[in-house]
Amino acid sequence: MDNAPVLDEAVTSALRALTSPGEPDVLAEVLNLFLTEVPPRLARLRNAWAAGNIEEVHRAAHSLKGSAGNIGARRLHGVCAELDAKAKSGDLAGAAALVDAVGVEFGKVESAIRRLLAAG
Amino acid sequence: MVPLQVLVADDEAVSRTVVGAMLKKAGYPVIYATDGEQAFRTLDSEAPPALALLDWEMPGLQGPEVVQRIRKKEVQTPTYVILLTSRDSSADIVQGLRAGADDYVTKPANEDELIARVSVGARVVELQAALAERVRSLEEALANVKALQTLLPMCAYCKSIRNDQNYWEKVETYFTQHSNVSFTHSYCPNCYERFVRPELEALEDARAAQEKLRRG
Repeated sequence: MDNAPVLDEAVTSALRALTSPGEPDVLAEVLNLFLTEVPPRLARLRNAWAAGNIEEVHRAAHSLKGSAGNIGARRLHGVCAELDAKAKSGDLAGAAALVDAVGVEFGKVESAIRRLLAAG
Repeated sequence: MVPLQVLVADDEAVSRTVVGAMLKKAGYPVIYATDGEQAFRTLDSEAPPALALLDWEMPGLQGPEVVQRIRKKEVQTPTYVILLTSRDSSADIVQGLRAGADDYVTKPANEDELIARVSVGARVVELQAALAERVRSLEEALANVKALQTLLPMCAYCKSIRNDQNYWEKVETYFTQHSNVSFTHSYCPNCYERFVRPELEALEDARAAQEKLRRG
């Protein structure tokens, strides 16, 4: 997991290659959507965790996992998947650390995305 | 063949955009729905898309519920529905297929797999449409055959035929409407002697009489 890339280049190039002629760059569109969509969901995840609403934690972790998977954010995807599984099973040992890790990993993905978008 | 329209329903914009871009690149016109309700309304409309990719987990109506609802309505060519899911337990998959989905793809979707499955769906839809059209034309032909097998009331003198609306029609009109027969008008040798020749002779006489008058 620790060796996994923050942003998998194979996935980002595949996204870039999805751009149809004359259409806006799919990679840039998807990464921008990710940057707008994810922070509110992160907040929802933290709030749900603080409120002890495990069902909502599960839902939020599950949807974050999906978005992370789509852009090739491997490490974020990994921690979200772990949290998703824990919340689903109800075994919450180590879940607090995972909620924090989701935030940390998102921060890394965000920087990587901004670098990538700036590079064009 | 016109590419078939595909509905992509997913509440997550990232996933929706990626799947939509894959389909557009493969040449499919794409329309979107951002939740289950909207997906249902689109699929329940007068001209629903031929194919649909529905996310399993959406707020409000979930993918399987959307399928279950649209399957209640009988249509000639039902939309081919593929569920997008991150669930991969066989119990979940069975539940999705039982709800009426035709196939499923696990998320995040692999481009080649997604497009291959969508093209299988397109094949099924086209086959179904072709079969429905064939059945329709066979039914029409059968109706005509039945019409021609009945006892036709025909006028003993003028040979007109009484149609279903109790209206007397010429034989030509009746058969043109109820079969693929068309008529070209001619005359038989007997009728030539009986009708055509006397008419021609009368014409010839009239012309000769006129000529005589003109010369005084």
